Amino acid sequence: MHVLVLLIQILVLFAVVMLHVAYATYFERKIIGHMQVRMGPMRVGWHGLLQPIADGIKSFFKEDVVPEQADRPIFLAAPVICLVAMLTSLAVLPFAPGWVLADINIGLIFILAMSSLSSYGVILAGWASNSKYTFLGGLRSMAQVISYEIAMGLSLVGVMMLSGTLNLSEIVQAQGTSFTGMYVFPQIIAFFVFCVAMLAETNRVPFDLPEAETELVSGYATEYSGMRYAMFFMAEYIGMMVMSAIGTICFLGGWNGPFTVPGVPFFWFVLKIYVFLFVFIWIRATLPRYRYDQLMELGWKLLIPLALANIALTGIVKAVIG
Amino acid sequence: MTKPMHTTLEVPVAAGDEESYSLRMGPQHPATHGVLRVDLELDGETILDCTPRVGYLHRGFDKLAEHRTYAQGLILTDRLDYVGAMANNVGYCVAVEKLLGIDVPLRAKYIRTMVSEMSRICGHLLWLATHALDIGAMTVFLYCFREREVLLELFEELCGARLTFSYPRIGGVRQDVTHSFIRRLTEFANTFPGWIEDYETLIDTNRIWLKRTRGVGVISGEDALDLGITGPSLRGSGIKYDVRKARPYDAYSLVDFEVPVGRDGDIYARYRCRMEEMRQSARIILQCIDQLPPGPIVGDDAPDLVMPLHGHPKKEADASRWGTGLIRLLQDRSLFPRGEVYVSVEAPKGELGFYFISDGSGRPYRMHIRSPSFIHIGALPFMTRGAMIADLIAIIGTLDVVLGECDR
Amino acid sequence: MFVKYKPKRNLLETILHTEILQGMALTLRRLFSRPITRQYPDEEIPVALGFRGQHALVRDPETGGSLCVACMRCATVCPSRCIHIRYHEDDGKRVVDSYDIEALRCVYCGYCEEVCPVNALVLTEIFEYAAYSRQPFHFDRDGLLANWDRFCRERNISPQEYVNPFWRPRGLPENRLPAGKRLQVPEDWTMEGQVVGSRYREALPNDGTR
Repeated sequence: MHVLVLLIQILVLFAVVMLHVAYATYFERKIIGHMQVRMGPMRVGWHGLLQPIADGIKSFFKEDVVPEQADRPIFLAAPVICLVAMLTSLAVLPFAPGWVLADINIGLIFILAMSSLSSYGVILAGWASNSKYTFLGGLRSMAQVISYEIAMGLSLVGVMMLSGTLNLSEIVQAQGTSFTGMYVFPQIIAFFVFCVAMLAETNRVPFDLPEAETELVSGYATEYSGMRYAMFFMAEYIGMMVMSAIGTICFLGGWNGPFTVPGVPFFWFVLKIYVFLFVFIWIRATLPRYRYDQLMELGWKLLIPLALANIALTGIVKAVIG
Repeated sequence: MTKPMHTTLEVPVAAGDEESYSLRMGPQHPATHGVLRVDLELDGETILDCTPRVGYLHRGFDKLAEHRTYAQGLILTDRLDYVGAMANNVGYCVAVEKLLGIDVPLRAKYIRTMVSEMSRICGHLLWLATHALDIGAMTVFLYCFREREVLLELFEELCGARLTFSYPRIGGVRQDVTHSFIRRLTEFANTFPGWIEDYETLIDTNRIWLKRTRGVGVISGEDALDLGITGPSLRGSGIKYDVRKARPYDAYSLVDFEVPVGRDGDIYARYRCRMEEMRQSARIILQCIDQLPPGPIVGDDAPDLVMPLHGHPKKEADASRWGTGLIRLLQDRSLFPRGEVYVSVEAPKGELGFYFISDGSGRPYRMHIRSPSFIHIGALPFMTRGAMIADLIAIIGTLDVVLGECDR
Repeated sequence: MFVKYKPKRNLLETILHTEILQGMALTLRRLFSRPITRQYPDEEIPVALGFRGQHALVRDPETGGSLCVACMRCATVCPSRCIHIRYHEDDGKRVVDSYDIEALRCVYCGYCEEVCPVNALVLTEIFEYAAYSRQPFHFDRDGLLANWDRFCRERNISPQEYVNPFWRPRGLPENRLPAGKRLQVPEDWTMEGQVVGSRYREALPNDGTR
């Protein structure tokens, strides 16, 4: 019986997240469109509201081209690895008190592990396509993930030190319900590092080097088509949501808000995620792209030292006060 | 099953320092501005050697012009640098007028100067749009197209075409400006500097933009001269050479404008030069509007559009029926002199030259186009050596090449 | 003139990312501004008078045929040589047998309509004429006359009053034009009504209207 309930919960979460992914693409196109004084999708449905569904149907029925020289099994598996890893990390996210599929004690580590795993998909895709553009995209992704994983992990260490736990629900509870309890204030440096690393982790502008359209055509996804191409994008958008959720949980107090909305315990959590997503899109509409070596420089020479300094600072302050 | 399930991977990897691999970039690459192909030798992402391959858009204009009258040859120039076609048209007409010894009325000169500057703004806007898009700043692209659209609509009102204008004619221009055109153009030229601020807010001081452009693609003034680079790409390296000042044509000697020059010779300096040039263009347009003299738009000795192709005009029996002025050339064979002429104008991309050899017939014996894009692509290997792939894209962008002009 | 660079950002601006925030403020402002998109098939795009679009032969209101006198000027001037005319002489008068335009070869320079002494040919302001094969773009005389009818119908043109700017180029003195091209035109198309710069405006008499 318990398994059945769990399965239903998983299905509901999956459906809700997929709907969010579909409409995240829609809103991304709409928001960027309006920021660029144009309209975005307008044709399918009222103001293009059915566009994501049309896109989904289209990519589902398109031919799945596999290049002759590709490493077939890996080529086929790569997008699935990407998507599954990202979907799995949804399991540990607490949407509201008690609203979590797997309330495990190593939630934070689990998410970091899963986001690293999903980059395997990217690397394998780049390798298996047997094309030079995808290969370069895969290499870039590898280097980028390794560098920024460290920065992100280190930036979250401060949060772990303050809350004393890795369980995501407990991290939220440790921040308390008050506005000032949010870890964004004591951990402002960590928050900055986290935000930059978050953009890099999810391959978003200004760190979208693995799929830099004007340099590598479409990076690791160059040879993909149809549903498998769409899977990379689903993984990217779920990645954005997971990272936003981590940011919300670790720095912005999770589901807590100025007042409780009756009947919708996850209201504030989802709202904060939407704000994060909007900022993601907003940044994409504004900034140019870094060069590969500059990205590395930023990661290793600025973010990691900052994160380390933050840990030391947090430790000292904690020792002095507590 | 005939095909093995698992094929060996043959992705070339640079092993150690000795081995490099090659990448054929283009001609169907999103950032090679049309159909440029660049053969790269890479070590990782660092470019060891780069060989541009051109000719995918070759249409043989130099040859086509040999079988067309001078008036018909004009339409070929529309398709050279199609983002700022008016400057090519004007250049062609100035060259032919010099060959045939035709005077252009002052009013036509002012109108030509005005439309040349409009097309310079057009060209620079498209340059900025694609250059910024190459570097990843997507929004600048759309903002530039917003203003370019205004200009294209103005062109449409003036000459009935948005891209392939064929607006000037030998000895003048084909249509006079109208009141509503001048009114809209004045409004545009007055508001345009404010719109430039928009783009600059997004990229001018942006740290990522600065990182991608400062100190990248550096070329010294001497090297740039040696490579034949002209236009804003040369001026970014600190050489003050502008055909509009050096050998003024049309009304450029009568208007007041500055030639912006950069110091560093990097992508950022060229970017600043072009931004400043757009402001100066707006200034020139306003001056032209202000100084526009009354008078005819076509000179008295301007030839008709129908010109004899073979230089042996048969006596047109009923020439008098169509009036006289426009078809003087038909009766006066001496208007086609023998000789050679080279005239260059400052097109948005650089110095655009037209070289004619005339054998006295109604068509050029030889027409050669010195197209700046072709010469700028020649500088690509020098500028990209040791740079990275991302820099290559930025350098292609900063050289402002249009393959229609390069391949001709 | 050396180009000026904006001052280098100081440490505080570096930490606060002011220039990036300014850029983001701009995009946010634009988010709430009106889009400039024109929804093309739904919204009609204004086409300027004299836009060089689909070819047409003007229908002679008296005979119902074309005005063409087979002078061959258009076929001669055409840079892409896409106009083909056949005629025979009848009592010293030329009679057009066929008049064909290959629209796919045409470069839309407008030379043909400009040189036509009787304003028989026009590039209309119609730009929507796509087809799935090449054949529909090979206009014969009847097709070209039908194009003119379509143009008059779709743009609400009265055939008697319509003047294309290339029939009677703006700013050309009348004595430079053949008799057939001395059409009645709006004032600012003529030499007298031409727009001049403010520098010359004072010198001209009665400039109240300009």
